[in-house]
Amino acid sequence: MNPISSSAVFASALIKGFILKNILNTIASRYTKQGLWSLFLMCVFPQHLWTLILVFRDMSWLIERTNVWDAIGDAGYAMVFAFFESLIVFCVFVLVGFITPGRWEVNRRIAFLTLLLFIASIWGMVAQLLYLWNIWLPWPLMQFIASTGRPLVMLYILSLAIVVPTVFLPVYAFVKSKKALHNMLEIMDRLSTLSMLYLFFDLVGLVIVIIRNV
Amino acid sequence: MAGMKSHINRRDFIKLSGALSAGLLTPRLMRNLTTISQAGRGQNVLIIVFDALSAMNISFYGYGRKTTPNLAKLSEKAVVYHNHFAGGNFTSPGTASLLTGTHPWTHRAFQPGSRVADAVEAQNIFNVFQGYYRIAYTHNGWAYILLRQFRKYMDELVPQQKLFLESYDDFIHTLFYNDDDISGLAWARNIDNGEGYSYSLFLSHFYEAIQNRGIEGLKKRFPRGIPSTYSSDKNVFLLEQAVDWIGNRLTVVPKPFLGYFHFLPPHEPYRTSIDFYGHFANDGFHPLDKPVDVFAGAKADNNLIQIRTEYDEYILYADQAFGELYQSLERTGLLENTWVIFTSDHGEMFERGLVGHGNPTMYQPLIRVPLLIFEPGRETGENIYAPTSAIDILPTFLHLTGRKVPAWVEGAILPPYSGSSPDPNRDIYVMTAKKNGQFQPFTNASMALVRGNHKLVHCFGYPDTQGDILQLFDIQSDPEELNNLYLSKPDVAQVLFDVLRAKLTEINQPYV
Repeated sequence: MNPISSSAVFASALIKGFILKNILNTIASRYTKQGLWSLFLMCVFPQHLWTLILVFRDMSWLIERTNVWDAIGDAGYAMVFAFFESLIVFCVFVLVGFITPGRWEVNRRIAFLTLLLFIASIWGMVAQLLYLWNIWLPWPLMQFIASTGRPLVMLYILSLAIVVPTVFLPVYAFVKSKKALHNMLEIMDRLSTLSMLYLFFDLVGLVIVIIRNV
Repeated sequence: MAGMKSHINRRDFIKLSGALSAGLLTPRLMRNLTTISQAGRGQNVLIIVFDALSAMNISFYGYGRKTTPNLAKLSEKAVVYHNHFAGGNFTSPGTASLLTGTHPWTHRAFQPGSRVADAVEAQNIFNVFQGYYRIAYTHNGWAYILLRQFRKYMDELVPQQKLFLESYDDFIHTLFYNDDDISGLAWARNIDNGEGYSYSLFLSHFYEAIQNRGIEGLKKRFPRGIPSTYSSDKNVFLLEQAVDWIGNRLTVVPKPFLGYFHFLPPHEPYRTSIDFYGHFANDGFHPLDKPVDVFAGAKADNNLIQIRTEYDEYILYADQAFGELYQSLERTGLLENTWVIFTSDHGEMFERGLVGHGNPTMYQPLIRVPLLIFEPGRETGENIYAPTSAIDILPTFLHLTGRKVPAWVEGAILPPYSGSSPDPNRDIYVMTAKKNGQFQPFTNASMALVRGNHKLVHCFGYPDTQGDILQLFDIQSDPEELNNLYLSKPDVAQVLFDVLRAKLTEINQPYV
């Protein structure tokens, strides 16, 4: 390796190290290790809950048409995928945390992010349940939307009209009420235990995946 | 018995329910090259199947709309079969009969997405064409299950995903190669929002968005949506692209080849291109009004004419693609040494309150399918009116390529290639038994027996009907099946019913 390229590599490593250090410092300014762990556990909870519900829903027809081991395999992969999705969601919410007021203490920030996460998760579930339960908009409303000439825009407006209050009202309540923070922290505390159990399932799922692939 | 069923369906069921790129399997291109080189310069056989294409909606079979201008022109130099019947009224039995030359009661693939029975697995067109380069592809998940089952008798099964657009699922099969069935299924259940739900709460939406972005530019070309195996935008494809790929592939595969290509259009969802969108709108065409069938019940669809129009416009798209494929074969010189068979696995109906296929009825739109044979060097057309069946294709092409027809084949060599005049009173059977146990006697099924001008239909074991349904039609003088002659022609009805009943007793015997 010539001296120029080795110094370039060294400089690049320095820059990367500097950037990484800055990122870690920035994160540390907003979170504690315990806070991040709590947030991660909260990210684990809704995703795993939903995955487990659907996995159990699929289990019987999978067993009927394939076999028990395949059904277990499906569950194993599902848990591993859920773990990775939780990780990604966690990263996104950590970033979201940076737009919260800097004066907030860590617990408040984590509780707030958890609240946002739960609202998003509930809407994610509701959207899928509408399909699962075959629920559609009432026919007169559909007709009205179609008659406006811009049905897609109308649908977006309607969706926002429903979704926005479900986000802003809880957020407003959370910001204004000290009791809300207390309640949220209590809920998080309880759900953490369940999330730990789900993480154990992930581990079991990983073992199943490895066994099936060796 | 349940165990047996599970065993048989396992892999294929997984493929279907996961809608996977199950194939991702290394094409065994190099296999059997030695054998192929020893086969001499035999003629190629190319079977082209357009799924759910009813003969009743094809213009040169008498339909009121010009749905197949390309095919009509090409039919002038083909042998055209006017009374050709599918093996069943939906993909699994229809395709299995075509590929095995046997009836549904023999191959047993009469449940949705089922495979043929293990005991008769070796009885298939790919196995009997050893020495040929055997290549197959299908868009259809249920047909793919059968092709997967026969894969060991082929040289190349083109992965289903190969001709889909914007599919990013391959990495799962690479990552979990040793468990690609279940990993693929789990991945599909996890990320694929095609059915409206998935294990994933968030990523599935991003995944869908990425896929949609890839096909955004095509949306204007397909006002009803891009052709797809789903009602969503999952597994979208372009027929013209598939046809191009196949045309090119066939020029480079070893010869002689046996090609089986099973395209989804005009199967639902009916998504024609902008070239044909609205082509039949307000054209004044009105199909005959027919009484609502007992199986339509309260679900009778009042929008049949609109759906039929969308289907007819989708046929135009399929017809154009076949025209392009034919031209491509002609251009590359392949036609000079290739038998081309154009057919379908089953039909489609838009009448009597019933839409689609796979219902318990046996009306002509569901079971009468096109069959055209393009013979190398033939410049004149020929029309065959004798009833023929999908199970005849396999023995016919064994015969035409100088091979012995095995004893297990239940079909007959098609006229005019059989060397004798066709038997106008030959019995043709069509069967559907979606809910009957795969290895159990038939107690819940519909059977049609065609003999000469008459067709007897017997539907039995359906809980929604009060007793059996028996219909007798003169399909020659009453092709629209408006008059049930079962009571007015008791002598004919009795003879055919006795034949059908005897056949049922015979085929049930091994499972009683």
